[in-house]
Amino acid sequence: MTLKVGIPRALLYYYYLPLWRTFFEALGLEVVISRPTTKTILEAGLQNSGDDVCLPVRLAFGHVLDLKDRVDVLFLPRLVSIARREYICPKFLGFPDMVRHGISGLPPLIDPNFNLYRKDSPYPFFVALGRNFTGNRLAIYLAYRRAMHAQARYVQLLEKGLFPEQALAVLYRGVAEGQEPGGGGPAVAVIGHPYNIYDPYISMNLLSRLARSGVRVRSADNLPETLVREQAARLPKHLFWSLGQRMIGAAWHYLQSPDVDGIIHVASFACGPDSLTGELISREVRRRGKPFLNLTLDEHSAEAGVVTRLEAFLDMMERRQFLPAGESV
Amino acid sequence: MKGYLGIDVGSVSTNLVFMDENGEIREAIYLRTRGQPIFVLQEGLRQLAERLPGNIVISGVGTTGSGRYLAGIIAGADVVKNEITSHAVAASTLVPGVQTILEIGGQDSKIIILRNGVVTDFAMNTVCAAGTGSFLDQQAARLNIPIEEFGKLALKSTVPVRIAGRCAVFAESDMIHKQQMGYSLPDILAGLCEALVRNYLNNVGKGKEILPPVVFQGGVAANAGMRRAFEQALGLEVHVPPHYNVMGAVGAALLAREKMAGGGTSRFRGFGVAKTRFKAGGFECEGCPNLCEVVEITREGEVIARWGDRCGRWSNSLGYKENAV
Ligand code: SF4
Ligand code: SF4
Repeated sequence: MTLKVGIPRALLYYYYLPLWRTFFEALGLEVVISRPTTKTILEAGLQNSGDDVCLPVRLAFGHVLDLKDRVDVLFLPRLVSIARREYICPKFLGFPDMVRHGISGLPPLIDPNFNLYRKDSPYPFFVALGRNFTGNRLAIYLAYRRAMHAQARYVQLLEKGLFPEQALAVLYRGVAEGQEPGGGGPAVAVIGHPYNIYDPYISMNLLSRLARSGVRVRSADNLPETLVREQAARLPKHLFWSLGQRMIGAAWHYLQSPDVDGIIHVASFACGPDSLTGELISREVRRRGKPFLNLTLDEHSAEAGVVTRLEAFLDMMERRQFLPAGESV
Repeated sequence: MKGYLGIDVGSVSTNLVFMDENGEIREAIYLRTRGQPIFVLQEGLRQLAERLPGNIVISGVGTTGSGRYLAGIIAGADVVKNEITSHAVAASTLVPGVQTILEIGGQDSKIIILRNGVVTDFAMNTVCAAGTGSFLDQQAARLNIPIEEFGKLALKSTVPVRIAGRCAVFAESDMIHKQQMGYSLPDILAGLCEALVRNYLNNVGKGKEILPPVVFQGGVAANAGMRRAFEQALGLEVHVPPHYNVMGAVGAALLAREKMAGGGTSRFRGFGVAKTRFKAGGFECEGCPNLCEVVEITREGEVIARWGDRCGRWSNSLGYKENAV
């Protein structure tokens, strides 16, 4: 029987799934991903985690619980750094331990350190990871190559304008890439952590709501890494947080881009990094005067409140466009 | 006479206005929602029909507020708009050139920034009671002062007491403490106004560029003490427009006029809907682990609208969309 490896559909799943999934599958393992977020998954997460952590981490607990009885091992990489001389939020690093102490009856956890702070290549990480399953170095090397290739292809698809679930469907389910929906609707850049904006339950279908109202949606992940970094480098101080850099760099780019009509920043309540990026972005927006909406999500967010804000934001864009300056509404 | 109907259904109050073709507000009705939006809306329509002349023609209906979709279905709306847009449209029509709208209602508060007549920024608070009218209501009740007297008394203050606390609970205990220390009632009331203004500016007003003309609206704008506290905190003159407490409904009526300007017949169901039997019910869907609480509106026993389902399974089946977005 093939060994089943569980991967929670949470946190950096949206960035790295192809890397992990292709690696495991190339080694002959079966990958099981937790089901899309539902109220039941979220509530399980809330009940089993402390209320002193942010919602995305609490939700990730729910996804671990969703996998708990369905897999042989759980893969929770201990993410320390995903880019040279940069860190990510310490919650990612602590997550495997929080899970270990917070949930009983878990299958074995596989949680090797992922740390690119001083290195460029993640190869040593994959060697350590692969050793849990095989002694065959060549097989590990080949699986690593395939994983890196899949990840590169994934990033390419995102840069073409796809969102993670669409890109994953192309990679793993053979769905055709599809044409980018054209149309003359306004374009809005949605800036926020991937685990907030791409999780339809948590974002209250933000992306599909926008699409349904004829808005073309963009995110940080549709931009090449180099461009995002170039933009972020314009900050007076280097940001050592990889995710914050991505969001700021993307916001800067979209603020200058004439094809983008408005910006929505999505933040988690009680997330320190988000309040910093939100503040930096909103200051810059004020200087440039593009329609801007800051949506803060928490477990109590009412859908009605989000909808009202979104409608007002869309009206704001629409009325701005159609009214000559100086005329009253 | 022809005109437009504006309806604002919020969690605290339900307001209706009738606006004639020239934009004159002819009738305004303010009712407490008391958790029964359908019943109260029907009551409002009944009262409005009584007050208006018999030859009235409704050329358009706009609804707004948190109950805007519900109201839109019951009354038959031509336009259903969020409360930010409605308030902004109303204020910029009544006070041309307005650049800042401060709005404090019974259960929520918002700030809207306009430039050149167009909304450029806004924020809403629906969570924290310390930034809304219910804060003053509670304290007035504690002090046994009718809320109508509150503002007048607060204006008599010479040295407002500083009431600490970012949250209603702390402010209350501090107020009791100040009362025991023997401060005068007007000074305490003025202190409460200042505390609410501080909370408001630190919460919804945070980071917003407040430029004149400033308009203050919503139920709390009736309180002259609040207006003075805003003027002092901002160092700007603050206008309270006519119809300040039904501005959402005014905006909805204006939007209805805008919508119908191109012609066409209104979807208004007529004042007779006051007698129709509507019911709001609901059930928990067990179709998937989301366990959505689906709201269902029936008219004379027939289901006319449903919402609250995350997947659209129930709302789509009626060919009805909950939201524009
Ligand atoms: S960045 Fe914010 S939301 Fe993400 S894990 Fe850290 S605290 Fe939580
Ligand atoms: S309405 Fe849809 S999302 Fe909600 S519980 Fe039923 S099937 Fe699930």
